[in-house]
Amino acid sequence: MKFIIDRFDGKKNYQQTYTVEKKDIEALTLLGTLLFIKQHQDITLNFTASCRMAICGACGVRVNGHAYLACDTKMTELFEEYKDADTFRISPLSNYTVISDLAVDWEPSIENLRKVKPGLVAKSEFSEKEGCRQNQEEYDRIVGQWDCILCGVCASECNKLSADRSDYMEPFVYTRAWKVANDSRTKDPMIHVKPTVTNGLWNCVHCHECTNRCPKHISAAEDIAGLRAMAMRKGLNSGVGPAHAKSFYTDLVEDSGRLNEIRLALRTEGMSTALRAAANKE
Amino acid sequence: MQNEFAFFPGCVLTQAAIEAKMSLEAIAPILGIKLKEINGWSCCGASQAQDVDPLATLVANARNLALAEKMNLPVLTTCSTCLLMLRRAKAQLDHGEKEKINTYLAKGNMNYKGTSEVTSLLWVLAQNAEMIKSKVKKPLSGLKVAVFYGCHSVRPGKDLGFESSTNPTSFETVVKALGAEVVPFTKRLDCCGFHAVYPAEKSVMKMTSGIVNSAAESKADCVVTPCPLCQMQLDIYQDDAQDTTKSKARVPVLHLSQLVGLALGLSAKQLGLDYNVIDASKLG
Repeated sequence: MKFIIDRFDGKKNYQQTYTVEKKDIEALTLLGTLLFIKQHQDITLNFTASCRMAICGACGVRVNGHAYLACDTKMTELFEEYKDADTFRISPLSNYTVISDLAVDWEPSIENLRKVKPGLVAKSEFSEKEGCRQNQEEYDRIVGQWDCILCGVCASECNKLSADRSDYMEPFVYTRAWKVANDSRTKDPMIHVKPTVTNGLWNCVHCHECTNRCPKHISAAEDIAGLRAMAMRKGLNSGVGPAHAKSFYTDLVEDSGRLNEIRLALRTEGMSTALRAAANKE
Repeated sequence: MQNEFAFFPGCVLTQAAIEAKMSLEAIAPILGIKLKEINGWSCCGASQAQDVDPLATLVANARNLALAEKMNLPVLTTCSTCLLMLRRAKAQLDHGEKEKINTYLAKGNMNYKGTSEVTSLLWVLAQNAEMIKSKVKKPLSGLKVAVFYGCHSVRPGKDLGFESSTNPTSFETVVKALGAEVVPFTKRLDCCGFHAVYPAEKSVMKMTSGIVNSAAESKADCVVTPCPLCQMQLDIYQDDAQDTTKSKARVPVLHLSQLVGLALGLSAKQLGLDYNVIDASKLG
């Protein structure tokens, strides 16, 4: 069978086809297969990997256009998913700049993480000596998001990032912000929520790729919805996004129970913009 | 075959996508599908209301599901976002939220039990492809179709789960049963951007345009989608989107129910093809 791998040598992009016997790789993981190719066929093939046990998050790659954590994906799962295909296309994560072959540049993502103050800023009642205690229920609330290993699989598949990354951040950045904001030990949730609002929180397109592909079963899309609700509760509700969501809510809960599509544009954009848009359409 | 359903039209079928309702109501009796509209249904929250109040949104959908349960029927919807919202609510209710949410429903003498499943037109058609084949009067031979699933038909898999979300086949099965040719279409699983058309207009227009151009490159005669919201985005906003990216291509965008209707020999008028913004009349 064949693996067509997208390669980049620092100057040019090209595809290289590797032919392997199915029996040699069918019991392996996807990472095992990449290592097999590197070991037996091409020592120059570059990719990042470390722990081999879905903890370090280093080995995200795309197969047939969808992102997977390579060490956490059995080849048998891929055979089942792609109906016993005899050719797989392996590519680097999308929405990242490729450094070499399947290795991508994480620096811009780390910059975005910094924007939401990803570390815990503990309540003043906690001290280094006494520690920061929380009860089981408080811990359980955030334990799912705690599992994020920064593998970038969600970011690779995000349709909003693919369209334009200048006014949006990687889904895992919002998840991280949600986690620290909802940690019972946090001094002020808004120091994490506010920077998400000013960095694209309302620009999620609801494609649910992030939720769908996460190897840790975290739903960044739901965390984004959670951050939005927190922002609204704290009065951060100006702009088109909040107004749009609010119109649905108002029709559902306070009005007829059904959306009034005619009123939607007016409520979302305000009277003057909506009238201008309507005039343009005529 | 389950042929009777509690029908959840969703807001869009009663307003902007009236042609989706017309065509659905035209094809259903021919296919032997009985749709009984859920009396008193409300908006599902449209993947928006939960940003304001997730609890109220869950209560609203518990109520919608409870109304269907009273009819002793599974729920059928055509709108993929309604499908996602209803199925997600059902999953939440069936996995721990039922008791709490029922205290709210009790105020209106209602009760959610969990007895009605939620399905979509696409799924029912895919499960009955052989039956559809037998009802085809005008096979769509030679018609090149770009199938556009729409996010909420397949994603997230944990809530939808009918088929693989990375390599789904239901839509191809249905379109092939109608005799049409499915063209390779790289954007078939992409997002049309509908839900963020206001806050992220520039990105969304780029996404919409990319899908239309991809269909045009595939030499498709039309794009077909099961989701009326995707249809609206790709059709009503197509001129704007193509102007934004200075693209000349225009491709008609049909509802799944309209394409089925064409194969069943229904007229363009019965299927509301004149309501489509990008001219679809030559397909009828």
